[in-house]
This record gives sequence, C-alpha cells and structure tokens, in this order.
Amino acid sequence: MISPKLVEVGRHINIELITCSEVKNLSGEPGNFEVSLVNHPRYIDPVKCTGCGECSRHCPVTAVNQYNMKLDDRRATYIEYAQAVPLAFAIDTDSCIGCGLCENMCVAKAIQYDDKERETSVKVGSVILSAGSKGYDPSGLDFIGYEYPNVVTSEEFERILSASGPYFGHLMRPLDREEPKSIAWLQCVGSRDTNRCGNGYCSSVCCMYAVKEAMIAKEHAHGELDCAVFNMDMRTFGKDYEKYYLRAKDKDGVRFVKARVHTIIEIPETGDLVVQYADESGMMKEETYNMVVLSVGLQIQPDTAQLAKLLGIELDKYNFAETNTFAPVATSRPGIYICGVLQGPKDIPGSITEASAAACLAGTELVEARGTDIPKVEVAEEIDVTGQEPRIGVFVCNCGINIGGIVDVPAVREYAGTLPYVAYTDENLFTCSQDTQEQIKEKIKEHKLNRVVVASCSPKTHEAMFMETLEACGINKYLFEMANIRNQNSWIHSKEPEIATKKAKDLVRMSVARAAALRTLKEKVVPINKQALVIGGGVAGMNAALSLGNQGFNTVLVEKEAELGGFSRKLHHTIEGDDIQAYLKKLGDEVTGHDAIEVLTKARISGFEGFKGNFSTEVTLGTDNEKRKIDHGIFIVATGAGEYPPKEYLYKEDERVVTQVELSDILEKKGTDGLDSVVMIQCVGSRNDENVECSRICCQNAVKNALDIKKRNPETQVYVLYRDIRTYGLLEDYYTEARKQGVIFIRFDQDAPPDVQPSSDGLLVTVKDHILQQNLEIRADLVALSAGMVAEDTEEMSGIMKLNRNPEGYFIEAHVKLRPVDMPSDGVFLCGTAHGPKLITETISQAQAAASRATTFLAKDSIKLSAITAKVDTDHCVKCLTCVRACPFGVPEFNTNEKLIEINEAICHGCGVCASVCPRQTIQLSFYEDDQIISKIDALLEAGGM
Amino acid sequence: MAEEAIKIGGKKKSIFLDKVKELLPEGGNLNLCLTCGACSSGCPATGLEDMDPRKFLRMAALGMDDEVTSTPWVWMCTMCTRCMYVCPMKINIPQLVFNARASWPREDRPKGILGSCDMALRNDTCSAMGTSEEDFQFVVEDVLEEYQETQPEFKEMKADVNREGAQFYLNQNSREPVTEPDEMVPLWKILDLVGADWTYGTKGWAAENYCLFLADNENWEKIVRIKAKAVDDLKAKVWLNTE
Repeated sequence: MISPKLVEVGRHINIELITCSEVKNLSGEPGNFEVSLVNHPRYIDPVKCTGCGECSRHCPVTAVNQYNMKLDDRRATYIEYAQAVPLAFAIDTDSCIGCGLCENMCVAKAIQYDDKERETSVKVGSVILSAGSKGYDPSGLDFIGYEYPNVVTSEEFERILSASGPYFGHLMRPLDREEPKSIAWLQCVGSRDTNRCGNGYCSSVCCMYAVKEAMIAKEHAHGELDCAVFNMDMRTFGKDYEKYYLRAKDKDGVRFVKARVHTIIEIPETGDLVVQYADESGMMKEETYNMVVLSVGLQIQPDTAQLAKLLGIELDKYNFAETNTFAPVATSRPGIYICGVLQGPKDIPGSITEASAAACLAGTELVEARGTDIPKVEVAEEIDVTGQEPRIGVFVCNCGINIGGIVDVPAVREYAGTLPYVAYTDENLFTCSQDTQEQIKEKIKEHKLNRVVVASCSPKTHEAMFMETLEACGINKYLFEMANIRNQNSWIHSKEPEIATKKAKDLVRMSVARAAALRTLKEKVVPINKQALVIGGGVAGMNAALSLGNQGFNTVLVEKEAELGGFSRKLHHTIEGDDIQAYLKKLGDEVTGHDAIEVLTKARISGFEGFKGNFSTEVTLGTDNEKRKIDHGIFIVATGAGEYPPKEYLYKEDERVVTQVELSDILEKKGTDGLDSVVMIQCVGSRNDENVECSRICCQNAVKNALDIKKRNPETQVYVLYRDIRTYGLLEDYYTEARKQGVIFIRFDQDAPPDVQPSSDGLLVTVKDHILQQNLEIRADLVALSAGMVAEDTEEMSGIMKLNRNPEGYFIEAHVKLRPVDMPSDGVFLCGTAHGPKLITETISQAQAAASRATTFLAKDSIKLSAITAKVDTDHCVKCLTCVRACPFGVPEFNTNEKLIEINEAICHGCGVCASVCPRQTIQLSFYEDDQIISKIDALLEAGGM
Repeated sequence: MAEEAIKIGGKKKSIFLDKVKELLPEGGNLNLCLTCGACSSGCPATGLEDMDPRKFLRMAALGMDDEVTSTPWVWMCTMCTRCMYVCPMKINIPQLVFNARASWPREDRPKGILGSCDMALRNDTCSAMGTSEEDFQFVVEDVLEEYQETQPEFKEMKADVNREGAQFYLNQNSREPVTEPDEMVPLWKILDLVGADWTYGTKGWAAENYCLFLADNENWEKIVRIKAKAVDDLKAKVWLNTE
C-alpha cells in the first residue's frame, strides 16, 4: 500500500531526500531557517547504486535484522526492505568484517569503504517534524511472559504475517515454527497504565490493529484458528471501524474478552502459554494458547525527545509535542510544524491528514517564495512520427547480474534484432542508470527510432522514468513498452537459465509486437481556474477557506444558514477547557475580514457542472432565491453534522432527560443547582442497528461534562453508563481524572440497556452492574444522553454535485487510509464532520489538510490529463448501459438529448473496466487498445507458445 | 440472581472508601479502578466467599459499606500485594482490605489470628506460641551444641544469645524453636559461612506479628516497639527480620 507513495516521493522533482542524516542545529526564524545536519556514511553511493542486491547476496556476514524485529538475519551489506526509497544498499559497519567481497561484486562501482561522516546544512523557510514513535518495549514487565519465545509483540507479529517477513507470511510461532491453532492478544501493554510503564494515555491504534491481526491470522491459517482479544474497552472509534470490529466478532468468530490477564506461564514441554484471568463475574478461567501477542502501545523514543529539545519544541509529560486545541499542527516554536504520532497517538488516516495540514501551514509561510526554488523540467518539442514505419529500439538490461547472471542477455539482444521493425538493439549493465538514459537518447536520434522497448524490470517502478527519457528527445511518451524479464523471469527461473532465456525472448517478442502497434497520444492540457469554493461555513469550512485565502487563493465560502459557525455555535468549551465561542468569534472575524475570501450566507447549491480545474456551481441566495454562478478550480465539502435527536429514554417526554449538548447549556446557565445525582447514558443513536457506527466524540463529551459538574460541585454524584469507554489518545487522561473525581462508570451490554423511569423523587435508572452482576437502581435528578452524531441532510446537494455518501450519510473519501481528505473525483476535497464524527481539533487539521491538497491544484496554471482514457465508438454502441453500471467512478453517462453514451476524458481514470465489460467491444482504452493487446497474444502464440 | 437492586444515587453520603482514602497517600488511588480485573486474575483468594479484589473494591466504590465491612473474605487475603503489583492504576487494594479488617469488632475477628496476637502480648518474647525467654535460650543452645558435635565442619559455628554490640540482631519465627528446631540451623550456617557478626536476644526475638494481620493497630505498634527496644538494648546495628 505504501509502495506507490514511496516511489512518488523518491521521484518527485520538488523533493530532495537526505537519508542517514540527523539534525544537529536549527537557527534562524520562520521563512529563513538554517538546518545543520550530520550525514552519516552509508558506505554505498546511493546515486551509483542500482539496488540490484549483488553486494548483499555475496556478503558473508550475518547480522540481526532489526527491520524484521530481530526474528531473522540479514547481511552486513543490506537494504531494510525491498520497497525502500532510495533503492540503495548500505553497509552496517558494526557487523561488517571488511572482506571486500561486496566491492568486488558491485558492477556499478558504488561501494565506498572510505565514506565519511560529513556535516552539511540546508536553508529552508519552514520545518515539519514527523519523527514518529516506536512500539513500547515490554521487556521491563515481569509478569506477561515476554521472555517466552511464543509471546511476541504486535510489531513482531506484523512481521510474522508479512510476505516479506521472517517466515514469508506463513503463520508460525517462533519456538518451533509450528502453525498456532490458538492465539491470544493482550491489549494495553504499555498504554493506559500509570503504574508499571507510566503511559497514562491510550495509544489509539492497538484495538484496531489487534482486530486486523486476528482477521489476517485467520486468513493465513490452514485450519481453525481460535483468536481471543483480552481488552478493557474495544476502541474502534474511526470511520467504518465499528463495522470491521463487528465483522470480526460476529462473522469471523474472533473472541473479545473483557479482562486484563495477570500472569502468563509457559508449559515447558510444549511452549504453549497458560493464561489465567477472572471473568467479569469473578470466575477464574484458565486457557492455554499456542501463542500470545502483546498489543504494545506507541511510545516516543528518547532520541526523538532529544531532537525536539534541540529544536526548542515543548513536549508534554509523555513526550508528545505540546500543541494548541485550535492550532493542532503548530508547535511551540513558530515556523516548526508537526504531524503524526509525535503530535499525539493516532492512526494512519489521522497522520496523513496532519501531514497535509502541516504542509499547508509550512507552505503558507512560504507563499511569497512559491515556485522560486524548484528545478525546471525542459521538454523537447515533440517529433511527429505519424505515418512513419515503426523503427523500434530494444534495450536489454543485465541489471548487474540480476538478469544477466541467469538470462543469456546477448542472445536475447541478438534475437530482438531479428524481430519485425526492430532498427536497433543494445544491452546495458543497468538500463535505468543516469548515463544509460543519455545513451538511449543518443541512439534514438542516431537511428531515428520512433518506438522504444526496454526489457528489464517492472513498469510500476521504472516506466515513468523511461517515458521521460523519450520525451526529452521529442518522442511521444506513449510510444514506449517494457518487458519485465527480471521480476517475472530471472528471479523466478533462477535455477533454469535456458528456460529463462527462452521466456525472455518470448516477452521481448511480445513487447516488440505491441510497440509496433502503439500510437502517439496527446495529453490534453486544461487550464486551472484559481478560485476555490468551500461548501459549509462551520469550523471546517472556515478553516479551509482561511487556509486557502492565506495562501493567496480567492475563495468563496458558501453557508446555508444566516450565520457562520455551524454546529459549534451550540458548544461552550473543549475538554481541554478552551472557549469555543471566543474561538468562533475570532475565526469568523478573520474569515469575513479576509481580502481573498467572499462569504455567501443563506446560500444553497442549485446547479453544478465541470471537472477538475474547471467547475461551475450555481448558488441560490437568500429568501428571494437570487441565482449566482461561481466558476472555480476546486471545491471543498465541509457540510458538517449535528446531534442525533434521541427517541430513547424518555427524551422529550420527561424534561429531566436531556442531551449532552443541552446539559452543557444547563451547566453554563444554572451550574449544578439542584443536581445531587446525574446519570449519563452513552451510545444513544450510535452502535445500534439503526446506526452501526461509533460517533467517536461522545465518550469524551460525557467525560468533559462529568468533569465540569465535579468542578462546579464535587458533591454531585455522576454515573456514566457505557459500553466501551473510547477516550482515545491523550483524552484518556481526562477519563482517569473523572474517575479520580469520583465519577462512577458502569458498563452495560447492548442487549440489556438501562431503563429510565420517572418518579416523584427524581428519575430511577436501572442498570446491571458489570462487576457485581446485580441490578443498580440509581436515583438521578437529571439523565444526560450522549447522543451520537448524524450527518447533515446533504442528499440534494450530493445529487447535484455527484458526491457519494456512505449508508450513514457521510461523504466518502478517495481512500480511507492514504487519501483521507480527497474525494474520488479529482479536484474535490472533504473535511470536518461531513467526513465523519470528529473533534474540533481534528476538524481543524482536516480542514487545513483539505486546503493543502487543494493547493496542489491551485498552485498550477494548467494540468496535463493522462492520455490513457476510454473512448466510445458511438456508431456501434447499443446503449446497453453496462459501462454506466460498471464504472467505479460513475464517469460514463447516457446523454438523453443526443441519445449517446459519453465518457468525459477529463474525469476518466483510465482503469479500463468499461472497455473490458463492453459486450460489443465498442469502448477502447487508449494505450491498451484491443489490437495492441491482441498483437502481444499473437506474438506469444507465434512460436507455438512457451 | 434475583436479588433486590442496589440503590445508589441521590445525595452524596460519606462512605467507607472515602475514609480509607483519607488515610492513604494519593488516596491509595482507590477511585481509579478501570474494572479490568488484573487484580482478580492474579489473586489467590479470588472466588473465595464469592468475592475477589475487583468485586470488593467495586462494592466499596458503590458505597456498599455493610457488605465491605462484614465479608469474611478480608481474612482470606494474604496481603501478598500481587493485585497492586500489576494494577495499571496502582490501586492499594491491600490497604482497603486492611482497613476493612480494622473495622471489625476485635472479638469477632478470626480466632487463630486473634489468639496469636493476644499470646504475643503476654510476655516480652513477643512469641505467638507463648514461648518464654528461658525456653528459647535453652533450645538455641541445645541445638547448636548438637550440630557442633555431629557436623565437625561447623564445630566453630555460633548462635549467641544476648551478646551486646553485634552487627545483626536476628529474630526468629517462634514456630521453629517449638516444633521444628532443626529448621533454624540452615540460616545459622549461612551466617557462619559469610562470617556475619550476629546475635539472638531473649527479648523480642519472635519475628511474626499477628497483631498486624489482625489489623489491631495499637497492639501491632506495641509489639514493634518491644522488639525495637530489644535491638537497641543489645546495641545491635541492624535488625534482621526474617518474616
């Protein structure tokens, strides 16, 4: 999943990677920092190294593989993992014996034993700190059995499950490499524990990863696998997480046990582990597992804390960076921004969101200098080759000895020369190296080549680079084809060189055939309208608009109500104690007073057309329905969510039953007058049949109000009736504080909800106590319902703007993990509670993230659209609508006026689904047209197959 | 369990748990329970009297003072502190148990512990077996003589009684001199081999203190003071308590 991102970062023209380096000092001020670095020696030149791996294969020294959590060995000359960027090896001098073998083997001459530590410096305008965390090391705990081989940490288990891990993805336990038939996960190891590890916070991610690991382990297992997760609370609070948890529990049979295990004992004869625990009724249970996984929490490492100190950034007591509720990614030092776990425990979507938010703020600081310090790419004028007979150049790569050591490369080259239209052949040590690119360019010119085939490795990693080489000498980049004779050939048939050579010839023949059938494709260039539209004027929308406005982009902010502020107008303070109304006032003033922002209130979306870079939206304004058309290059959806109106527990029947939002109003206006006893009920309108999802914020909301009550009057008794307390991350401290203040928490089962009855002497709430297994009858003066969140009614708007929503009514992002603020259509972004329930502080970083992503469009004058798009042959199309139904992006449309199927190439993703499902083959995907594919198949079969 | 519902809520009342909290540093963290059950999972007394540490604390937290101060389970707790050792919130359950014991009328407390405490109060040996000063001295000297004779390698071994100015004042569980005198010897041998300078005393030599387990604070202190005085009187530098 992370591979494409790595490749993108590695190849990005505006990103310079400085690896093996540490920051030694940071001087200067925002806009003009100087960063002093120590560059540790790698002993292998990353520019010359092609990543072929010969050095490592011949290294005689074994060292412990830290990447695989010490579960296997690696060589002293090594690369951490196959997808690493830069794809360059390094020498671990702690274990290297200096035998010189790697230097002898390296054909690229990349080994530098005399590499030295250097000191360098870079000038930057802003700094983003994303130093991350590590898993908690449980060796200091003497009661959970980490000393036994079959007790592993979750990090170790991740490597065990990984195909590139120590056991190649086979589910095995370390002691005897037997496949376990039962595995227990112990949650909160190194989290929510102020006694033994001092980490009072919740690590936020362990519940989800334990569920995931259990599910994957079950998939990898060859027979029945018993999975049990021992937990205090299951914290599956993220978007769609509750559904995943329920699937594991109800469909896949993962057992979730509410218990913390005291001690683990190994049975010496079998290596199995005896887990003893008291169930909720106090009965002792003893279970034997083949393996135990410790779900270790996230912990900031001492060297990271040291770095933060060096940079002058304040950290909290757990070494997370101090940030402000309303400025979540700004550190205490101006110009330094933060993202990821160092900001606070969080999952991947949260980290990625913050990364974009930090980029937004870092970029805002540099607005004046934008575009001044980036390399320019020279593109040669394209040579028109239409009508020319194909002249194909074939370049066969040895990949060091990766290919050449097995495949007879000269023979393949010679064979290529016999194929139709081949005008030139060559073989290279490394076709991908920088000097080879220059050679290819020369040969293209010298031999007037108009097609190029490279027989080497995977197009996934290298196609874009070779296409650039073609473009640089005026050849259309779509006149290029690759044959993967390494990953799909020499690596697989390494023991059968003859077969490998034969297959390489077949693959080259196929590629040459396709190359001859390739056509010049034009990439459409569309101008970008630099204006932005933000829909929704709550905390999310205002922050998004402000972030865009501060970067100099004109922004129109559309709000349906008469006032800005959204749902936050009903809230008083955050759990940290920050004044929300004061913040809203300041934010609103900033937005309305901003030169680049135009605010339209009482405005509704009534029409929409266009595509990325060129949208046009019609807005209906005010009571007299005045219409206005807005042209914009991108838009951000921030339509928000509200509080669920409860139907349960006598709400609206008895005035002593209120929601948490109403309770905070009461506390603000009347304090705790007349409140001797307050009962709070969680999960009202969440985690039930009607709304499966967790509303994420209600637990902290209850804790917030409970603490407020206790602060106003410590004598008021507060009872919180809950199903799982989900005060994730640093919110856990408030849960601890609430208990300290005497708030009583009582867990109930979904099947046995509390009962609320009115009486002359207050409300009587009956609930079964989870520990005593006895009914409690609580006399309460007030019952506060923790009503969940519901998405705003956006049905009409989503219809007009073609935006997909999930069953709960929240908008759907492009990728739940990797693209959390992009919507599936390009140029459309999402933030705030329109995406799903979240806190104000999370909303702010998401809004900044959406603005940041939008900037990647708005900063350009035009964009090139990929030429790989689908086209309909309307003469032969029978309008069966199969493509309309099959397209995952909803692109093909039936034009009712023209009675034609239309595919807008500006929004087509080029996935080819429509082309493959079309029953009459009337849709062609350019670059993958039928004749191009068939030519390959014909070429394969020509020689009688393989 | 068709028991009647436990009635809580309404106006706050002072409960037993609050009183114990006042006695302990950080309130013994008694409010902080996550009901995770780690304590009960590791408690040797879990299940006895239908009780376990978590349930006990829960009852205290819900103000079920009658149950908390009357359950005989508190006398089955061994004060081993396994519960507190792993408790993520470091809740001092043993102290809650101790104070629940202390709330019992003295005469209702378990006979064995009560009798042993009373016996120890009878004379200055502090022995729960009621062993006198003379008997203790006789047994020690008798056993020592026997070992010096039968095991020549320990011919020079010492077990002084009432020697002034020794480095260590060693005390002794009072069961051994009476029922298993040979059990005293292994420790003597160790002390002999390492060349330790030690002595027994005829006063305050008994190591056990049943008044502590009885939660009889006053007599617990009384016994500790007798023992401490015995150490001081012999001018020993270190009091070596084997209990």
